[in-house]
Amino acid sequence: MTLGLTRRRLLKTAGASLLGVGAASFPMPGLIRSARAADTVKLGCLFSSSGAMANVEGRLTSVVRMAAEELNAKGGVMGRTVEVVGTDPASDWPLYAQLSRQLIEQDQVAALFGCWTSVSRKSVLPVVEQSDALLYYPLHFEGEENSKNVVYLNSPPSSSVLPAVEYLMGPDGGEAKRFFMLGSDYVWPRTINQQLKGYWASKGIPETDWREEYVPVGHSNFQTLVNQIREFADQPGGQPVVVLTVVGNSIPDFFREFANQGISALDVPVLGLDALEADFEGLDTAALAGHLNCWAYLQTAKGPANDAFKAAWAKHVADTGVPYRGDVAIDPMVSVYDGVHLWALAAEKAGSFAVPEVRAASPSVSFACPSGYEIAMMADSTYVKRGVFIGSLNETQGFDVLWQSEGTPDPLPFSPYMKA
Amino acid sequence: MMGGGMLFRVIALSLAALTIALPILGGPLAGSGIGISPYLANIIGQIATFALLAIALDLIWGFAGVLSLGHGLFFALGGYLIAMHMLKDGYVNAGVVPDLMTFMGWTELPGYWAFFESFPYAAVLILVLPGLLAFAYGWISFRSRVSGVSFAIITQALTYVAMLLMFRNDTGFGGNNGMTGFVSLLGMPMGAPSTAVWLATASTAAALGAFLLCGRLVRSPFGRMLIAVRDDEARLRFLGYDPVWPKLAAWTLSGVMAAIAGALYAPQVGIINPRLLSPEVSIEIAVWVALGGRGTLSGAVIGAVVISALKFWLTGFAPDLWPFILSLLVLIVVVGLPNGLTDLRLPKLKGARHGG
Amino acid sequence: MPVIRLLILLAALFGSPAYADRAVLSGALCAPALADQIAALGALAEAGATGGKDEAAWARTVVEAVDARALRCAASLAFIGEGDAALDAASLAPSPAPVDAAPMPINNRLRAAAASAAAALTLFVDTEPAARAKAATTLERRREALSLTILDAALAAETEPTVLAVLEPLRARMMLADPDPQNRIRAIDAIAAETTLRNRTLIAEALSEEADTTVQAAGQAAMARIDRQIAIGQVLATLYSGLSYASVLLLAALGLAIIFGLMGVINLAQGEFIMIGAYAAWFVQNAIRALLPGLIDWYLIIALPISFLVAALVGVVMEALVLRRLYNRPLMTLLATWAVSLLLINLVRVTIGTQNLEFHQPFYVVGGVPVVGDFIVTLNRLFAIAIAALAFVGVVLLLRVTTFGMNVRAVAQNRAMAGAAGIDARQTDRLAIALGSGLAGLAGVALAPLYNVNPNMGAGFIVDSFMVVVLGGVGSLAGAVAASFGIGQINVIMEPLYGAVAAKVVVLLLVIAFIQRRPEGLFAPKGRR
Repeated sequence: MTLGLTRRRLLKTAGASLLGVGAASFPMPGLIRSARAADTVKLGCLFSSSGAMANVEGRLTSVVRMAAEELNAKGGVMGRTVEVVGTDPASDWPLYAQLSRQLIEQDQVAALFGCWTSVSRKSVLPVVEQSDALLYYPLHFEGEENSKNVVYLNSPPSSSVLPAVEYLMGPDGGEAKRFFMLGSDYVWPRTINQQLKGYWASKGIPETDWREEYVPVGHSNFQTLVNQIREFADQPGGQPVVVLTVVGNSIPDFFREFANQGISALDVPVLGLDALEADFEGLDTAALAGHLNCWAYLQTAKGPANDAFKAAWAKHVADTGVPYRGDVAIDPMVSVYDGVHLWALAAEKAGSFAVPEVRAASPSVSFACPSGYEIAMMADSTYVKRGVFIGSLNETQGFDVLWQSEGTPDPLPFSPYMKA
Repeated sequence: MMGGGMLFRVIALSLAALTIALPILGGPLAGSGIGISPYLANIIGQIATFALLAIALDLIWGFAGVLSLGHGLFFALGGYLIAMHMLKDGYVNAGVVPDLMTFMGWTELPGYWAFFESFPYAAVLILVLPGLLAFAYGWISFRSRVSGVSFAIITQALTYVAMLLMFRNDTGFGGNNGMTGFVSLLGMPMGAPSTAVWLATASTAAALGAFLLCGRLVRSPFGRMLIAVRDDEARLRFLGYDPVWPKLAAWTLSGVMAAIAGALYAPQVGIINPRLLSPEVSIEIAVWVALGGRGTLSGAVIGAVVISALKFWLTGFAPDLWPFILSLLVLIVVVGLPNGLTDLRLPKLKGARHGG
Repeated sequence: MPVIRLLILLAALFGSPAYADRAVLSGALCAPALADQIAALGALAEAGATGGKDEAAWARTVVEAVDARALRCAASLAFIGEGDAALDAASLAPSPAPVDAAPMPINNRLRAAAASAAAALTLFVDTEPAARAKAATTLERRREALSLTILDAALAAETEPTVLAVLEPLRARMMLADPDPQNRIRAIDAIAAETTLRNRTLIAEALSEEADTTVQAAGQAAMARIDRQIAIGQVLATLYSGLSYASVLLLAALGLAIIFGLMGVINLAQGEFIMIGAYAAWFVQNAIRALLPGLIDWYLIIALPISFLVAALVGVVMEALVLRRLYNRPLMTLLATWAVSLLLINLVRVTIGTQNLEFHQPFYVVGGVPVVGDFIVTLNRLFAIAIAALAFVGVVLLLRVTTFGMNVRAVAQNRAMAGAAGIDARQTDRLAIALGSGLAGLAGVALAPLYNVNPNMGAGFIVDSFMVVVLGGVGSLAGAVAASFGIGQINVIMEPLYGAVAAKVVVLLLVIAFIQRRPEGLFAPKGRR
């Protein structure tokens, strides 16, 4: 257990608190930040280290720092040292917009890396569009957006969820016939379920073979819903599957109830679209083995790039003492790591840090992602092409690779199934 | 009683000076050495809306002794109404399809979005709806003599209910994502430096207006009535006064002021979502007032300005520290300075302050 | 070495006809279609069941390799393991797999069939009666690879009564497609003995192709029987859900009710005391794991008094440093306790971290016991209900029987008079705060197997538990119980009809409306303050 308070950090915080009190009467955010030498280039981070999202979001700032160190170890980007400016938007959506404005206008960052939830991205979007900045967004999300000021590092449903569901419906995946969609009530689950319904309708699956339920974000009591799922699953009509789009702490709460009510993955598999290894810490995974998830990266992906990434992360955690687990690597970490490298490659290619030049050069560079795929931005959108993995939960809280895509499918920013 | 005429005048003058200086320093002089960047203007504007919100709460808590832990409800209501106007306006006049229509798969907005493209309609609603809501709720509560801690908790529960409802996408207000992607307000394009400066000016002007209005009100016979309600409601009843009406008037006015603050706040941050309805936000408003000192109006402004400025500054600079500083500040003030930060400057006032 | 291997292989290949059979059986797993693969697992199980113990042991090894995803296929030859370390699946002798050997794709339906085949083969391989009984129960649920041939072979070989008690009804159930109508009726009755919706669907599917009227009649009767049981089960499940939700509410609100009733202080940090109780339980777990690993299953019980004391201590410290100075200013205590909660959350956040804590799950909080229909009593919720009941009874006894309890009631009813009668009201306050905080600590232990434990866990309880206290009536314990049950039950009944959000909204609005009509709550306080 890292206590997270090293001596250096303690001194730093003590000093900061003195400064904080001293400057209280002069609210000039950012102005106090010391001017840096001209031979650096700054990257801004917008990941919460407090509030509801801190559990998963906080570590991404450390990954950006790690990637920047890698770049600096090779002499920086175009001879300039990469400096990372971290912030804490405190899981407060308007604060993301506020801090992004500060990073762009006061810190003059070359690019922003940030946001986890869709709402935080939507909050930052007007800011980056107005000042023509570049936001690298590391999460898989609902699509239906294509801004030239956002690089979508992860997949929209068309190139992640749909391939996964298609697999489950095929002979290899167990010929799923009936679907129970359970999601947290917000835009990501809603959009995904809408696209799924359109997709199923196009495959001739009758409406009676699916059900859609939403719970509030942060919902924890799943007794009634698990009862409903059992009832749905026990009716005739073919192999049932739960498409789970609840997020955050609702995920372990759901799986705990699911296992306690004695429903096995072998009877009713759950495709947990946002489920990560960390969600199963402290659960009895022997009773949960066989449930599925679907990401553009799984920790068990094979290949030297992944081994190198995992080793680098473990070393970074050990060296810096950040309070995260060095042995856990999750998809958004890899995505943001890819983002930093893609940005650096594009800037070098363009020979400039100016956003229009970097954007123009982006489609012509590619990076060997730890997932094992060579990834690159599309030519006609700012989406990055990623591979798809389906993971199967094993007894040790990890996900084995059950299936992975042949190459990197083309992401479709706007789904053809939305208007079904 | 009024927390020192001197302090009151200083704050009123500062607000007035800001209102006059902002358009000049942020407009023609923006590039010069003493100019204000649009970024700084935006922050000043946001803080001014918080000050207005704090004044609204101080009127009802500091003077009528009714603590609301649900002022976020009125604040958010104002914000949502102006956001609906901006989205509808962008949709009708600029052809920008709101996100919430896309992800809900709607081809048109629900009926209650009708007429929102008209600014006067939205402006009237911003004044009327929160007023009606506050009046109706206050009328029921004050008549059945729900007061003190129970009233505070129930306002919080009501706000929580509103948050749960607004989180639902079916209600047609954008759910968790709320509303964002505003195009323009009154013809001013969002994101333009001049818009930021004008919104900030409007906010400081509104705060100044509310400050002066409430200052007059609490010195009037009505204000003395309020203070009597706060200090001994039972005796007031014995004396033949009905305490319901002064309370209700102050409560309704407070709700409307909070809504105006919200309507000025939403365009400046560029997003409105149900988080404003979370219990923490409403408690934080009460913390501003308590820290600055209740029942002085000046204290409310000072509390709101100091805390929100500190928060803006620290979340960018020393994010881990902010919650510690806030909680310790509250504890020190609550335990050591019963009348808030104004205690630091002023000699102890005569007369005990009752209740809490 | 490879030469020797090759010789062994050749000898095996030509020397024994069994090898050829085994190669066909295991190679069938490499079929491209899922249905064929499942059939191949069935064939393996059957071969093991009829081919003697050695054959059964071999078949089980292959089946387990399928489940462990170790099986690789090159054309129609199966290998276990990868590359040079691979074994020939037919002979289990080392045999390097060709480079193009692809792992056999596996999915949950195949794994279900593999689990079924493995259980069936265990009946023939395992010498432990307990292991065979466990395998037999697995077969009740997983019949994917089970056939009458296998069952009859197992019944013939089995002597252990516990195993037979499971296998005999199972055989009856397998007769659903038997040519003899009497056997089909017996099968229906055997299936209907367990009254779940799943079994009802089984019978309904069989009846849809049933021509015989007597079987139809028996089937309809069985389905009606199951329907009745399911209906009862549904009512019980709803009641149980409501009860478990109510117990959570009561646990969270009990301490709050005591503090509020006595001092009119709303403790906004109550949720964080729950969190501290849960964290204390976590430390107890770690200490036991390090010092007395044998007792690890009982750490939740051992943690009960410790979490109570830790939370009580924090409460007393808060009283001494903060609340003591704020009596008569209840609204200021509201803000002060909010600041305390913020401080506690962040102290835990920087010292321990934001991640969910890992708790060992002892047997008494894992899984559930099927009762009737599809109603399952989940043990983690039962644990919370039991702790809530114990806590409530304990508090009632404490307040009714002890001097401290008498003092508390006296101070709550009339503080001035109690003081005049010689009761030290401040001392009583302090003890009551300790009790109220300690109860939150207990709640933390009870909720640890139910909820995620992290620094923010307390925030979820604030509004709900206040509603309980306010609705129940200031300081009324009976009121708190009634309010918990009312809110819990209404919530659970409304949830399937209108969804979780609407249920919560309606319940809260009902409570708010009720308070407007009766500000004193369900149970009016006897005293005056």
